[in-house]
Amino acid sequence: MIGEYFSGLAHDIEGKLAAEPGAASARKIFALEVARLGVRLYSPGRPVAWCGVLAPFDLLNAVGVTSCFAEFVGAMLAGMGAASAPLEGAEQAGYAADTCAYHRAVVGAAMQGMMPVPDFLVATTTPCTGGLAAIENLARLFRRDLLVLQIPRAETEAGVRFLAGQLERLARFAAGRAGAQLDPQCVAAAVDLSNVTRALMVEIYDLARRVPSPVSNRDLANFGIVVPLLMGTQAGVDVARATRDELAARARDGKSGVPGERFRLLWVQNRIQFPNPLLRLLEDEYRAVIVVDELNDVTWEPIDPADPFPGMARRAIGLPLNGPAERRVARLRQLATEYRVDGIIQPCHWGCRQGTGIRGLVQRGFQELGIPVLNLEVDCIDARSFSEGQLRTRLEAFLELIAGRPRVRA
Amino acid sequence: MRFLGIDVGSLSCDAALLDERGELLAATVVPTGARNREAIARAKDEVLRAAGVSAEDVTAVVSTGYGRDRVEGRRAAVTEITCHARGIQALLPGTRLLVDIGGQDSKAVRFDAQGGVADFAMNDKCAAGTGRFLEAMARALEVDVSALGELDRDGSDGATLSSMCTVFAESEVVSLIADGVAVGAIVRGLHRAIASRTLAMIKRIVPDPSGLPVAMSGGVAHNAGVVRALSAALGCEVRVPPRPDIVGAFGAALIARERFG
Ligand SMILES: Nc1ncnc2c1ncn2[C@@H]1O[C@H](COP(=O)(O)OP(=O)(O)O)[C@@H](O)[C@H]1O
Ligand code: SF4
Repeated sequence: MIGEYFSGLAHDIEGKLAAEPGAASARKIFALEVARLGVRLYSPGRPVAWCGVLAPFDLLNAVGVTSCFAEFVGAMLAGMGAASAPLEGAEQAGYAADTCAYHRAVVGAAMQGMMPVPDFLVATTTPCTGGLAAIENLARLFRRDLLVLQIPRAETEAGVRFLAGQLERLARFAAGRAGAQLDPQCVAAAVDLSNVTRALMVEIYDLARRVPSPVSNRDLANFGIVVPLLMGTQAGVDVARATRDELAARARDGKSGVPGERFRLLWVQNRIQFPNPLLRLLEDEYRAVIVVDELNDVTWEPIDPADPFPGMARRAIGLPLNGPAERRVARLRQLATEYRVDGIIQPCHWGCRQGTGIRGLVQRGFQELGIPVLNLEVDCIDARSFSEGQLRTRLEAFLELIAGRPRVRA
Repeated sequence: MRFLGIDVGSLSCDAALLDERGELLAATVVPTGARNREAIARAKDEVLRAAGVSAEDVTAVVSTGYGRDRVEGRRAAVTEITCHARGIQALLPGTRLLVDIGGQDSKAVRFDAQGGVADFAMNDKCAAGTGRFLEAMARALEVDVSALGELDRDGSDGATLSSMCTVFAESEVVSLIADGVAVGAIVRGLHRAIASRTLAMIKRIVPDPSGLPVAMSGGVAHNAGVVRALSAALGCEVRVPPRPDIVGAFGAALIARERFG
């Protein structure tokens, strides 16, 4: 079902782009490349690896393995409005209904035969132990090899060496599964593409920082978390370039993403993945724009193509969601200041320790800066527990609060 | 010039009518029932009749409450957080923390020194500890909700309840009655449980509430037992305006006057 969905989607967009090449918005190109990735995942041919969020996708792309983090399936199902059946399946098999629904959905989908059987799996020990457990369960279910990348919590030289060694072993293993020897040339070429994508992302986020911002609430939704799947490929560069060009053109013409921008918001962690009217409400009734998502951030340096593993290790270790929560809060505060936001929205996704566990620290961190924080308390995947009225009231009351207070932003 | 505020809540639909100086002319509370459009029309008719004002004399209507988008002819819909905040600052100026417990949700609002909303929190997910919870418990005890405040007075130390889930608490109450525990003690136990749950919500936005000027609004503020339990939990006096259930409608009418007067 998901496979057909992706091929239908790719086919649709390709058709539209062929009929009207001028109508190729950046978001369409993004959707097309995501759909193509979906098609590759669901069609036999290249080996497939289901992974944790922090796996090195550019490296896996370089050695000819189609790879994706498992949570992507949860988000896709929710976006299609089709997550209920797999969620129920997982619950009937004993998954507690208050665990993270990204994982519940993915395990349910695997049990119901909606996921392609991978050649192997790569778990990562951060950002969440729930993700590690989900990948372990998938490995058991599919009876496939599981590699676990142990990601150190702090960026020490020894820690970087430790992870770099694991990445190199992963590269050899994955290349072997794709029927080849590890070719440093191929890896270097992929790293070059990855670095170009990274540089474009930096430009994109610089553009988003402008006042008014050229981004609308949808332009960069899920961008920073999904683009890594395309890293190390020309498709990643194309998506990032189209996005940069579109935002740059808007900025040049003095156009804001949300006409008459009034309020600028920071969205913590993931967006709500199923269709819902809240983003429209923000735009249409309050002219409020999410100028920055926590996950739309470049927190790593360009990687050395001649010696890629230490750089890739640093990239994973340095993610603010890894390590102590204070580091994450510090980065969030920095983002809020740089993007001059008026308020913070924290979904506090149910069952996520990253999302709900940090809530008090985030609140305190922003209280000191005088920036209000809204805790939505929503399940970003499981629409069965979505209560529109309740969330609407919270969101509207929050915007009324912001509207009624003196501006603190610089 | 007359200004009308309508608060369409889950259990009650309230209307408040102000004159051009912001003085309250009349207020009314009618049950929302299953058809809230009818309740809205009734609340509006009643308040206009009580004040002897015709509908044409109303300059602006502001609606609030979960059914705020259902009110026809409104100039604006404003959330109950903002309206309760506005209402309480007019009725009890200087309030720094407001606790509003209504039919199916509870809210805490923190104010800055100027009376502006600085932060708020709402109960999550379920209606435990709200008006509906108390109604279910009153039913199990075979008393009227309006009697709970009095019954609480002879509750001595109060019974201990282990569950705040409406369904489980109801059966717990039934078994306490069967065990011969006095009704007053059960009621006091229920009120204490609500207060401690509310305190947890308050502490999310005010880590140390002791000594703050606190006020309470919403229908549950009629229940003196809950107010006493909350005072004890907070360690400070909790003030209640004369008609706590119309604070939201009153605030909405004040906003109508400010914005459209
Ligand atoms: N006289 C009273 N004594 C005690 N409790 C009352 C009284 N009147 C209303 N309540 C409580 O208030 C609740 C309704 O609160 P209200 O603020 O009107 O709710 P909503 O705004 O959601 O309609 C009832 O469930 C009941 O518990
Ligand atoms: S939402 Fe939280 S628990 Fe779920 S995958 Fe993300 S970090 Fe892990």
